[in-house]
Order: sequence, then structure tokens, then C-alpha cells
Amino acid sequence: MSPVRALTPDGYVTTADGRPAGKPDVRIMTWFFPLWYGLFGIIICLLARVTPPPRPDVSTADKVAFFSQNGLTIQLGFVVLLVLLGGAAMTNGLVAYQMKRMSTGSVLAYGYLAGMSVGALPGFLLVGVCFLTATLRPDRDPELIGLLYDLGMLSYNASLGCFTAAYLVLAIAVLYDRNNIFPKWFAYISVWQIVTEVIASQMVVFYSGPFAWNGSISFWVAVVVFSVWLGALIVILRNAAAAEPADEPDMD
Amino acid sequence: MAATTGTTEKTETTARTLGWAWVVLVVITVASWRLAPAHFTDTVVASTGVTALVLVLTYIKARVILRYFMEVRSSPRWLRIGTEVWLIVLLGAVFGIYLA
Amino acid sequence: MGKVTVQQPDTETVAVPDGRLPGDVHMWVMVLGDLIVFSSYFLIYLIYRSMDPESFLRAQQHLDINIGSINTVVLLTSSLFVARSVLSARAGAHRQAIGFVYAAGGCGVLFMVLKGYEWAAKISAGHTNSDMFFSFYYVITGVHLVHVLIGLIVLGVVVRELQNPGRRRTWMVETGATYWHMVDLLWVIIFGLLYVMR
Repeated sequence: MSPVRALTPDGYVTTADGRPAGKPDVRIMTWFFPLWYGLFGIIICLLARVTPPPRPDVSTADKVAFFSQNGLTIQLGFVVLLVLLGGAAMTNGLVAYQMKRMSTGSVLAYGYLAGMSVGALPGFLLVGVCFLTATLRPDRDPELIGLLYDLGMLSYNASLGCFTAAYLVLAIAVLYDRNNIFPKWFAYISVWQIVTEVIASQMVVFYSGPFAWNGSISFWVAVVVFSVWLGALIVILRNAAAAEPADEPDMD
Repeated sequence: MAATTGTTEKTETTARTLGWAWVVLVVITVASWRLAPAHFTDTVVASTGVTALVLVLTYIKARVILRYFMEVRSSPRWLRIGTEVWLIVLLGAVFGIYLA
Repeated sequence: MGKVTVQQPDTETVAVPDGRLPGDVHMWVMVLGDLIVFSSYFLIYLIYRSMDPESFLRAQQHLDINIGSINTVVLLTSSLFVARSVLSARAGAHRQAIGFVYAAGGCGVLFMVLKGYEWAAKISAGHTNSDMFFSFYYVITGVHLVHVLIGLIVLGVVVRELQNPGRRRTWMVETGATYWHMVDLLWVIIFGLLYVMR
């Protein structure tokens, strides 16, 4: 299969001999998932610069400088994110779809969907709005700009409750699923996600050290675990889509 | 204590082995209790020797739990070697950082 | 794979060249991964400790070593019970196995109660996470406590498995046991690093 073909939905979800597998709409969404997260990664890392996070233990003048130095890319990145945010809902919908195929029923799938969707508000939207507000009028009172900096970073990094609930129902669904849509070890990786999220709650009291929002424990370990989790999810979504018989009856 | 090991079992863990493992672990714990900083009322001084001893004791305890309780003793080779390496690397790194 | 049927003397070690993995391989993924994540926490703790060893040492002196040691023995005993329950389950003595699991669960609850009391005492004495050592202490023992809580749920699942005459799958009991032993293993290291070493 040519590399170009492999980049299309039909080439991304295939059987062992390269034929497109599963249902067409699922195939497209499965291919969209890593695409969206890749874009999201570029936005938060390279453009908006919220990951890795700027330091909490800086002066107000430094915070103002952060916004004036990165103003253009912040605005570019977050405006694109505002437009693309709907893609997050679609990626969550794909996971919920696979969860509905599990023998554990629909309730857990809806729980996941709800948790992740609610989490998106403090998780991305708030930091985007805060930072865009800060970069809109650079001559605003520095204390206010500093406030927007803290508010954005805290909401981005500490908004763990919703995601924790979503990962919990995901783990339960995977463990009790008799249809083996997702492999069992993924449930345990989701539990790690919960643990690191809970630890991250410490960042509301520290602005330096390992538990601050840029700290080795609160941030770096958590980001490694998250990357493992996301990578695993992308792979198993693809396997689940390829393993689904194209004529499996649709659920309501 | 009933030796409830089936004679056709592949693993050779018996109730008695487990009991002895527990005794060893508890004895080491009591010894550690005496060594701890909180055990002393006047100011405690850092001691490389004590720390080395504590790390060795911790190593022994962890190894007993792994090999006897978790039955790594009779597990596939990759697990035996993997857990052994992990424990040595972790405690070695701990001691190394402590000395630095 | 080298499987050996041996006439058992009571204490023995028959060398098995390549053995059998107890329980479910997925749980071993969890256990090994968890050990690695905790290892990163331990190493980070050590790094920060080495930046300020005096203040860490002084803070360590305020830990309640009695409760710490008792808790260690409590968890070690719970692991013994869990290991015994696996033996009973293998021999088909499921009621004995259930009894052992309940005993282990009781130890787990006791551990949590003692830990809660220990925290309450420390906090009311003023040792909060404004001190670097104590912030590590609360986070590490806190995450461990969450693991104990999850462990109690796992033990509950094991009990249900053993009570159901249609199931009683040995590998399920072994899988739960593997998780519980990991909780014990982590505590033993935490005890050594936080409570004892200086």
C-alpha cells in the first residue's frame, strides 16, 4: 500500500491484507481522531505555549512579557482551537460509540461522553478565552494580565474532576466488557490517568517545586502517563474499528 | 497450620513458606522501627551507614514479597529478571542520589 | 515450559527454568507500570531531599514511627492472608479462601483507619504541605491510600468470584492477589524511604 493511501481513512483502518475494514463512518472518525489530536498538540505546544506550561513562580512583569512575546502565536493557536473545538466532541463520540458496543451497556458510554464534554470547558475553552483576553489589549493593567495568566493555567491544568469521572467509567466499562472491544490493560492505564490527575490537584497550593503546575510530579509525570494513554487509545481505536464486522447491526 | 499444597501443583509455595516469609518481613520491620529518625528524641544526624542498611533491608523485604507472595520465584524468566533489575536500579539510584 | 510435578517436602525450592505467570497478564502490565510510575515519584522525592537534607531530616523526625511500623506489619499480614487464600482457592477450599480474603480486607481497612488517624494528628500538629517533606509525604502516602482503597474493591470482586459456584476461577483470585501484593510492596518501599532512612 502506498504511503499516501495509508494516510486516508480507507488506508488507515484495514484488515491484515490491506483492505478497508469495518464500517465506513467509523473508519473516517477513527482516522480523524489522531489527526485532531495532532493538531491539538501543535496548538497547545507550539502556538499557544501552554504545554509545557509557563512558570507559576514569576513576577507580574514576566507574565506581561510572556503575553507580549507570544501574543501572535497565542492568538493564532487559540483562534484555530476555538474553531476546531467541536472536533473534541467528535473524538469523544467515537470512544463512546466503541463503549456502546461493549456488553456493559450504554450508561457508561454516556457517562464518558458527559464527563469529557463538561471537562472541555475548563480544560481548553477557559484558558483559550483568558489568554485571548490578555493578548487583546496588551496595555491593560498588569495585575489583571497576571490574573488572566494564573486563571488560564490553573483551569487548564487543575480541571481534573470531569476527566477523572470519564476515565473511571471507561475503566469500569473495559474491565467488565465481555465483548473485548478494548483490551483489559487499557483499563489499568486509564486508572493511572486518574491517579495522576488526582495528584495534580496539589498545584492549586504551590507555585514552585514538584507540585506546581509545571512541577516534575504534577506536570511531567502526568504528561508522560497521558501520552502513553493517548497513544494506546489511538492504536486500540484503530484495532476495534478494523475488527468490527461491516454488517454489525447499528445500535440506537 | 494446614499444608494445603496440592501435590500436583506446578508452584511449590506452601503455607509454611509463606509463614516464614512473613516472619522474616516482620522481624526486619521491627529492626527498622528502631533505626528510624522519629525514634530518637534529640536531633538526629544523617548517617550514610544507617541509610545503606535501611536500603538493604528494604531491598530484602521487597524481594521477599516479590518472590514468595507474588510468586515471581516460579514465574517466567523475563519477570524474574525484570523485577530483580527494577529493584536494584531503583534502590541503587536512591542511594546514588542520596550520596550526591 | 518446564512444569515439574514434585513430591512436596514442606520447605523447598525446586528450580523451574521457565515458570508460570500467576493470574492475568493484564494485571501484570498494571503492576509493572504502577511500579515504574511510583519509582519516578520516589526518585523525584530523593532529588528534592538531596537539595535540602537537613530540613527533610528534621521533618522526618515528626513522623509517627509507631503507627508507621504497625501499619507495615498490618499490610504484611494482609498479604500473608491473601497469599494463603490463593493456596486455598487452588486446593478448592473456597470457603477457607473467602475467609482469608475477608481477613486481608479487614487489615486493609485497619491500615486506612490508622493512616487517617496519623494524618489527622500530623495536620493538627501543624505539619501541613507548607513543608516540602510533608507535601511529599501526603502526596505519596495519599496516592498509596487510593491504591489501598482500590485494592479493597478488588478483594470484594475476588470474594464475589469465590462465592459464585459457577465461577471460582483460580486465575481471578491470583490476579486480585497480585494487585494486593503490589500495594504491600509499594508500602514497604515508602516506609523505608520516608520513615526510616536518614
